[in-house]
Amino acid sequence: MDLIDLSAHSPDDATRGMFLDQLCQKLELDYASYAAISPVTGTVQGYANYPDDWKRFYTKSKFHLIDPTLALSARSIAPVDWKRFSSHEGFDKVFGPARDFGLFSQGLTVPVRGPFGDCGLLSVTRECVEGDWAKLKRKIVGDLQTAAVHFHDAVMQDDSVARVMRLPRVSMREKEILQWVAAGKSQQDIGDILGISHRTVEVHLRSVREKLGALTTPQAVGRAIRLGYIQPE
Amino acid sequence: MTVIIVIDALNRSEYPRIMADMHRLRARVFEGRLGWDVRVVNGEERDRFDQLDPAHVVSINEHGEVVGCMRLLQTTGPHMLVDVFASLLDGEPPLRSAQLWEATRFCVDTERLSHGRGPNSVSSVTSEVMIGAFEYAMEAGVTDAVAVIDPIMNRVLKRSGNAPYDYLGSAKQMGKVVAMAALMDCSEERVQRIRDYAGIHHDVFLPDEAALEFESELAA
Repeated sequence: MDLIDLSAHSPDDATRGMFLDQLCQKLELDYASYAAISPVTGTVQGYANYPDDWKRFYTKSKFHLIDPTLALSARSIAPVDWKRFSSHEGFDKVFGPARDFGLFSQGLTVPVRGPFGDCGLLSVTRECVEGDWAKLKRKIVGDLQTAAVHFHDAVMQDDSVARVMRLPRVSMREKEILQWVAAGKSQQDIGDILGISHRTVEVHLRSVREKLGALTTPQAVGRAIRLGYIQPE
Repeated sequence: MTVIIVIDALNRSEYPRIMADMHRLRARVFEGRLGWDVRVVNGEERDRFDQLDPAHVVSINEHGEVVGCMRLLQTTGPHMLVDVFASLLDGEPPLRSAQLWEATRFCVDTERLSHGRGPNSVSSVTSEVMIGAFEYAMEAGVTDAVAVIDPIMNRVLKRSGNAPYDYLGSAKQMGKVVAMAALMDCSEERVQRIRDYAGIHHDVFLPDEAALEFESELAA
């Protein structure tokens, strides 16, 4: 999945908005939004590509205080289908008016927990029949997980204190594997060289990409070289 | 017969008795049988990770008693391999990925369950909890799990079509037994192997309405 690499851009709203637009386009979604809940102040910071009049109405009505897709999803470890909120009072209060703005209340929220009690929520919606929705969810949920953690980590890096605190802690094995990737070896080769399964190589690559805020392995290699974790070939 | 319920922060308040029974099972296993250094209050084992809204995959028998459980946390946030089990990783930082979950406090009730291979056996409930956890993880887009287990559980997994594909760091003495961090893929292939071995071909999850009935039965 090709998405804008948020960690390579200065933190501006336009880039983040474009990221959400791209996500919708690639994953066949109608709308996407991201909200971060600060563990210290409880304030919500958000980005969304919903129609502007709905965003204004949502903010003016202070819906973020009662919207269960935020407060409750933050307490799940798994993506939460909004069906789970259908009998929730706050859900009707928010999504009743949403229908007047032409929005459909079929959606999914992917919660991301950060290391310092921070929490990010990537929500997506799609208007379609239930069977198609179930199929679409299965197809895209892995990509949504990757996109959610990427977005959250980028937002959390906004201030300089956070940037220092969140310096990636990359393990020896992760460095070793990235070094072999930089040398042009395939995952299978690397597994053979290190005497581990290719799945172990894969899970370490997934981890080190996320630690380095990279969406792709080449981006991760570039960043690891710049940080001095590995040597350029 | 046993069935699986997934209990998380969103539905936890509906299952106070099942949750209490789960914490009692964990006390019997981790303090009693395994001799780990865990905190037990009023016969229930709890730690600070239970405060972090984990998900619990819980197996209950026909009397509504908890006979197996496992606790799941995201590896992007605080989890046990970061500090409590950090020694297992030989001083290396843990893996961090939105598609990797950590499984801890995995146990089954060796007193209430029979031995051998029948529906109410240790072997069958072990398989059932794993099927429940892997299917729940796959639905969440999670591809791998790192599980903290002991060598006995490790042998059980290997025998039941559910061998870890690798281990992180090295096994370490914890209390009376050794603990190790095992990697397992959350995949259809693995679930099928476990199902074939255990002869479990039905949906292991109990629908919400039936689960709530169990909760009230246990209350009576």
